[in-house]
This record gives sequence, structure tokens and C-alpha cells, in this order.
Amino acid sequence: MIRFGLRLTLRGGREAATRLVMTAVAVALGVGLLLIMLAGINALNAQNGRTAWLNSGQNGPSQPGRVAPSADPLWWVLTTDQYGTRSIDRVDLAATGPRSPVPPGIPHLPGPGEYYASPALTKLLRTTPAAQLGDRFPGHRIGTIGPAALPAPNSLIIVIGHPARELAKAPGAGQVTSIQTGTGGNASVGFDTTTIEIIIAVGALALLFPVLIFVSTATRLAAARREQRFAAIRLTGATPRQVSVISTVESSLSALAGVAAGFGLYLLLHPLLLAAPSFTGQPFAPGDLSLRLADVLVVAIGVPVAAAVAARIAMRRVQITPLGVARRVTPPAPRAWRVIPLLAGLAELGYFAWAGPPKSSNGQVLVYFLGFLLTLAGVVIAGPWLTMAGSRILAARTSRPAALIAGRRLGDNPRAAFRSVSGLIVALFVTSVAVGITTTILADHGAPTNRAGVGDVLAESFIVNETASGQPISAVAAVRSQVLARLLSIRGVRQVAVIHISPGGATAPRQDESSLPGLVSCAQLARIPALGRCRAGAAVAAITVYLGQAGPHSAQAPVLPAASVSPQRLQRLPVETVLVGTNGSAAAINAAWTELEVAFPYLGPPSPVSGTPSQDVYGELQRLSEVVIVASLVIAGCSLAVSVASGLTDRKRPFSLLRLAGAPLGLLRRVVALESAAPLAVIALLSAGTGFLASQLFLSSELSETLRPPGIAYYVIVFGGLAASLGVIAATFPLLDRITGPEAARNE
Amino acid sequence: MTEEGRATAAGHGPGGCRLEARDLVRSYGQTPALRGASVSVAAGEILAVMGPSGSGKSTLLHCLAGILTPDSGQVWFDGQRIDAMGENERSALRRDRFGFVFQFGQLVPELTAEENVALPLLLGGTRRAQALTAARGWFGQLGLDGLEQRRSGELSGGQAQRVALARGLVAGPEILFADEPTGSLDSLTGEQVMNLLVAAVHEHGTTVILVTHEARVAAYADREIIVRDGLVTSLSANWAGS
Repeated sequence: MIRFGLRLTLRGGREAATRLVMTAVAVALGVGLLLIMLAGINALNAQNGRTAWLNSGQNGPSQPGRVAPSADPLWWVLTTDQYGTRSIDRVDLAATGPRSPVPPGIPHLPGPGEYYASPALTKLLRTTPAAQLGDRFPGHRIGTIGPAALPAPNSLIIVIGHPARELAKAPGAGQVTSIQTGTGGNASVGFDTTTIEIIIAVGALALLFPVLIFVSTATRLAAARREQRFAAIRLTGATPRQVSVISTVESSLSALAGVAAGFGLYLLLHPLLLAAPSFTGQPFAPGDLSLRLADVLVVAIGVPVAAAVAARIAMRRVQITPLGVARRVTPPAPRAWRVIPLLAGLAELGYFAWAGPPKSSNGQVLVYFLGFLLTLAGVVIAGPWLTMAGSRILAARTSRPAALIAGRRLGDNPRAAFRSVSGLIVALFVTSVAVGITTTILADHGAPTNRAGVGDVLAESFIVNETASGQPISAVAAVRSQVLARLLSIRGVRQVAVIHISPGGATAPRQDESSLPGLVSCAQLARIPALGRCRAGAAVAAITVYLGQAGPHSAQAPVLPAASVSPQRLQRLPVETVLVGTNGSAAAINAAWTELEVAFPYLGPPSPVSGTPSQDVYGELQRLSEVVIVASLVIAGCSLAVSVASGLTDRKRPFSLLRLAGAPLGLLRRVVALESAAPLAVIALLSAGTGFLASQLFLSSELSETLRPPGIAYYVIVFGGLAASLGVIAATFPLLDRITGPEAARNE
Repeated sequence: MTEEGRATAAGHGPGGCRLEARDLVRSYGQTPALRGASVSVAAGEILAVMGPSGSGKSTLLHCLAGILTPDSGQVWFDGQRIDAMGENERSALRRDRFGFVFQFGQLVPELTAEENVALPLLLGGTRRAQALTAARGWFGQLGLDGLEQRRSGELSGGQAQRVALARGLVAGPEILFADEPTGSLDSLTGEQVMNLLVAAVHEHGTTVILVTHEARVAAYADREIIVRDGLVTSLSANWAGS
């Protein structure tokens, strides 16, 4: 019977060949995308794995992904420096003995006055004036950091050696007994374990679901015609089991062909993917974007097996008798309980928005991930019921034949109708959640201010701790006049202002690490007007400086309240921050940056008061989500095309006879468009709305923030995806024209 | 005045008939289906088109109904040349003035029986309530009472064919084209359908062109023609059917 099945599939005429090719193409696209996704995950893991060592100071000795602890710990300070818009990962370290652990990529630890630099940084140091970059790094270069320690070939990394006694006193210095080798625990560079797991889970969900829908739709291609043929085989005496074997052989064969073609597609696209910009924002190293043996085996074996199982299950749903095909069970109409999971998901997120997030970070991840998952599953589960409800209303009220036919068809089998668009719906939900959250976070933490001049100011903060009452403790009692003179001598530096710690909390309370409330001399502030201006006659004012991109930057510089501290007393107060106002030129900013690092070693790099956002985790998440979204939309679009074409083939006869009886082709086109576009548009709106609602609940619960409207990119992707879907539906119209023409009716 | 002009002025084809075809030639690739077939039908007449399988009778019906255009020859209906019309015009003609009953599979499976019957009216722009009311009127007439809400899958072959007949007649067509309307039915059911068809068309004065290969069915017609090898080879009056 297997040989007979093979013969029927391979030599079963044009229709069987078309079905085989179509199904194989669908499976090939699915498999190709699946392989690209797996390679992408491997690349992400590989890149993040090479980042792990930088986070060695982030976790305790018992964290996972660590080698055996050494008896001679390293003093370790990791800071993120900046040159222009590029980040430099700087590791200052000092060995405490001969057995101190050595980070990857270097043969041994650098001694005091020595450093290793990555190839890209070495090149940058060679081509940049020392006053703008090289002077930040004490000592001389003794070698290059190898590829094992570089997340990307163009990573800017430096490992600087120091005397242990000196570095031990540096604020933020920690002891490292072993180098982190895995992506376990927290991370200040790259993604931490939880983030990686969430990215993989969400990415897999957003991509695999449309792929599965696509493959499932493809295997059902022209199911009605196929079942009629099986009925004819039954008429000749075949048993149901034998027909089932034939069906399984047919599905497995097309899946095997599809898997082979899918691997071919992957190999074809691989060079293009390597050449394309990386979705993590950093180029991959050679070999990162590759498949493991396990990936290959799972896909090569799993997909045909899954296709065979799906075929067996599908055959159990129909009763193929010698006299024809009968549905064994008329699918019962979806019930209203289907909206419960959706409501439950939103209720869970709503509860935590009202009650606040769980205390532990693991609890938060669990709660929010489950909430989103439940809401997403809820949209998928509720979809058929909503489709049915909407289509019944449409069919009961319309006087238009196209709407009547489409409404009845949707109402007849809402599950099938929803299935054809569910891939897009999932992609849209994930898009809305990802974009909603990242847009809001980036808007609140990453958007440069629109106040002119603020981006040209650097701030070096000296706060290393705070008292029990919240009073900041500074590492610097006073800034030497030589330092101020050197800073002012830099071409392009306009003014240097020193902010002092306010005695007794005279200014606004400190909100977080990014806000620096203190006192400033009005004479100094006068030449950095972007930060604020004093009231007339005031000598000292209270000021709050927000570092980086944080804080409320209004377009207008604020008028600062006068402080009841004399200028003489101000000079005796501990220094909190030094502000350097520049003319905004890259040379001035880089030179001032370098001078601040040289003048205040071990206190970490300065921060721009506001400026161009640097690469950060949210930006990477946003890029990742965009990649996932576009891929999901492509797969879902393919799925929709196959589904629409399949539905047309199954209704070839009534449609062609309707057309013969004078129904215009436009009517049939409207039927096809309505059947797909109506649930797509309605459920897409619901999906996007639910996605944003879930995001809002998460944001208000976890970050106490309000959802920001998404940027133009979101609308481009969503409306582009929907337009592409409508295009896909329209692309089936020539098929409709062909299969319902007079010739088709005559040959029936 | 030319022959065509006179025919148009008279509102009939060149021969003064309701529908007339002259010297129709139609091929499918290299295979000729019609090789100069001519036929005419008078108003209110029931014409049976008979012939063996592959003789070209369905192609003749499709050409007469404006479904296919002949390679050469003319088809006249009510003073208009159908074969010279564009696809949209022919579609409108079929929708507004013709009715159709086929052998099987013509009901839209998603629609209820009454919606299927109402479909031609809805296509013509009739409001839903009116269309359904008109459709329901046919159910009693064709012995389909109580089946209004059934789908095609829930109807027997005879019931489905009667629903199709109602659909073919609901818009009051001037000509009903029936292609093997009883071909998929047993003889008793076929007889019932034919009796209903004949009664209905007589009541409404509808012209019928009936393609069949069964003499029993052809006997219901006023007249029958035989198509053989793409030519109309014989004409006869069928007194039994009149």
C-alpha cells in the first residue's frame, strides 16, 4: 500500500503533482524560516556567550556558568565608556596573586600600566588623537584581545591592569574569583539568562505558531478534492486503514520534499543573512549564524513525522465511504467560554497593575510572562467564537450576496476561517506588546531631550554612597583649580560648573541614580544656560541635573530657586558633580570626556546630561522584535495565501456554476476577500488593542508608566503587513477567474 | 434595411424566434465540438437537446446561453446578438433574463436552501426581506415546505435539484437552460422534478432549453433536436410532451 501511495503521489496526474509541489513549497518556506530562526537563536547565544566574561563581577561565586573559584581573586571594575555614539566596555582589573583567573581572549593578566585592547579599539586608538581617547587608558598596550572574548568583530573592549591596592579602593570594585563563562545570572553587558529565555520563548512563539499554521494549512490543500479521490479508492475495495496509509504516504512525501527544499532555501539565504545587518545590532562572528547537529536532526526528522501524524489525525475526522466523503462529526459551534482565557489573562495583568508587582524578580518574570501568554492564548482561543459571532450578525442582516455567502461560510466553520489569519493575529499581538513596551521605555529613558544645548553638557558625578537619611556621600571633597583650568583650556569647552552637595537636604530629594540634586554657583551656571538660570540677584541656586537620557527635560530651561547658602560656604561643601558645557563638537566632547576620566580615575566615566542614545538592551529588544514581526508576517501571509487558494479549489464547482448563472466575477472576488479580510481586520484590531492593553497593564504595574503611542515604524509594519495580506488575497483572484471560467465548468 | 436591422426592429432573431443560433462552430483546441449547428426556439417552447456523450449538446447550450462564445456563427436573443456581447453584458443577460439548472453541485453549500433560492434576486439588487419572501413562495409550489433552513448537504438529491429549479425560476427568467437536470437522480425522483419543472414553466410562460440524453426526459419537451458530431441532425415535434 505504501508503494501504491507513492505511485499515486508521484504519478497521480497534474492535480496530484500540483498538490505535492504546493505542499512541498509551503513546508519548504516553513522549514527554511524555522532553520533561520534556529540559526539566529544560536547566533544570539554565541554572541551573548562571548559577552559573559564581562559580567564576571555581577554575580556571586555560586552563580551558574562559572568555573571553579580561584584562591587569588581579581579586583574588577567594569564600566561602559563612550566615544561618540559607540560604547567601549572597559575592565579595570588587578591580580591579587599568581592564581588569579584570566579572562578569555588574553594570554595572561595585564600588569599595572599595561592593557589589552580589542582589534577595533586598537585601530581606533591608532587613528584618534590621544587627548580625545587614548589618554583615558593608563599605560601601554601589550596585546590584542582575541575573538573568544569579543561579542562582535567590531566590539570596543579594553582590559587595563592596575596595582591591587589602588583598584581595591575604587568605588564599585569587586572581587572576582572566577570568570563567568555562560549567560547565567545578571548581566550589565548583553542579555541576562532570563532575558535570553524570554526572547527565545517569545520569538519561538511568535515565529513557530505561524510556521505550524502554515504547514498545517498547506497539508490541507485541496482537501475536499483529495478526499473525493480517496472515496473512489474505497469504492474499488480499499479499507479505511489502507486509505489512511495512502494519505500518510502522500503527506510524508511532500513534507520530505519540503524539508529538503527548506534546507536548500536556508543554504541559499545563509550568505545573504551573514551579509545583512545583524538583528542584535552587532555583526556576528563567522560561525555564529549556524545550525547544530541537534537542530538539523530535529527539523529533518520532526517535520515529516509531524506531517504524517497530522495526516492521520485529519483522516480520522472524515469518514471516507465508497460513496463519498462525509464529515464524521459536524464541528460544533464555538461556545462563549472561549473568551474566558482572554479575560483571565487581562484580569491577571490588571490585578498586578492594581496591587503592584511581585517582590522577587523571578516572580515578576513568571507573573508577566504568564499574563502575556494567557492573553495571547486567549486571543487565539476566543478568535473562532468572535469570528462566528461577527459573521452570524453579518449574514443575518446583509442584503448583499457576497456578504451573505462570506458570512455564512465564516459562520459555518469559524475555526477554519480564523486559522487562516491566526498567524497574523499572533504576530500582531506580539508586535503590539513588544513595540508598546519598548517604545514607552525608550521614550522615557532613551529619548534625547528637545532642549537646545543640553546634549552638549557632560557630567562627572562623584557620589559613591548615601547616608541612612539619604544624604549623598561624595568621593571628592573639592575639585582642584588645575583640573578646572585644564578643562577650560580645551577648545570648545565653554564653562565648567561645580555642583555641591546641599547641606541638610535643602534641595529636592534624589529620585534615582540619574537625578543629582545639589547647589550651584549662579556665576558658573550663567555660561551653561541650557541647564537653568538663576533668579535675579541670586548667587547660589538649587539645581537637579538628570544624567543620561533620564528625567523630565522640558523644552525650556527652568528658573532655579535661590538657595540660602553663601558663595563662600558653597566652596567648602563636598563636590557632588562637575558639569562641563561644550560647544557640542565631537572633538570638544571627547577631549573633555578624556580629561574628566584622567582627572578622576576609578570614579567611572562621565555621562552626557542628554545626548544621542547609545546601544542598549531596549534598542536591541526593539530590533529583535521587529525581525520577529516581519518574519511572522511573511509566514502568516504565505499561510493566508495557501488557505485562500485551498478554499477556492474546494468550492470550484458551486463558484463556477454561480458564475455561469450570471454572478459577476466581482461578486466571487468580494466573497473571497470578505471571507479573509473581514476576520483579519476585525481580529487584527482586537489583537492589537489587546496587545496594547496588556502592555499598559504591565507598564503601570512594573514601571509605573503610561503607554506611549507607537512610532511610525509600527504603523508601517502593521499596515504594511495587513496591506500585504490583502495583496495575498488579491493574488488569488486570477486563480478564481481561471477555475470558475466556462472551461472549468465544462470539464467538471 | 439589413436582415439584422429588421430582426432588431422586430425584437426577435433573424428567423423571428425567441432564441436562434445559426451555423455555430466551436472547437476546444484541435477538437471540434460544434461544426455549424443551427437551432431556434420559440417563446414558451420547451426544446429538448438530445445526443450521445461528446456530441456537443452541452457546448450548444453554453453557446445559446452566452456562457461560451462560438468561434463563428451567430446567436440571437430578443433582437440582440449574444455572441457579439462582452463578458459583462453576457453575465448581466444570464443573471437578469436567463435561469439555469445543472446536473448537480450548483447550490452554494454555506447558504440555506431559501438563501440559495433568493440568491439571483439578491444579485439583482432586491432587498433581503423581499428576496427571501419571494424565495419562500417557491418552496410550497415545489413540494419543499419545511426545508427552507436546510443546507445543501442536508438535502436529498431530488430536494437539492428542486431547490436548484426554484433558484433557476425565482427571478422570472425568460429562458431556462437545464443541463441534464435529472442526470443525478433516480427515475422516480427525476420524473417528479420534470413534472414540477414543466408545470412551473407553463404557468410562467418560460421558454426551456433542456439538454438530456434520456428519451424519457426529452418526452416532456414540445420539440426535440438531436446533436451528433457537432451538427443538429434531426428535428422532430414531440406530441407526447405537449
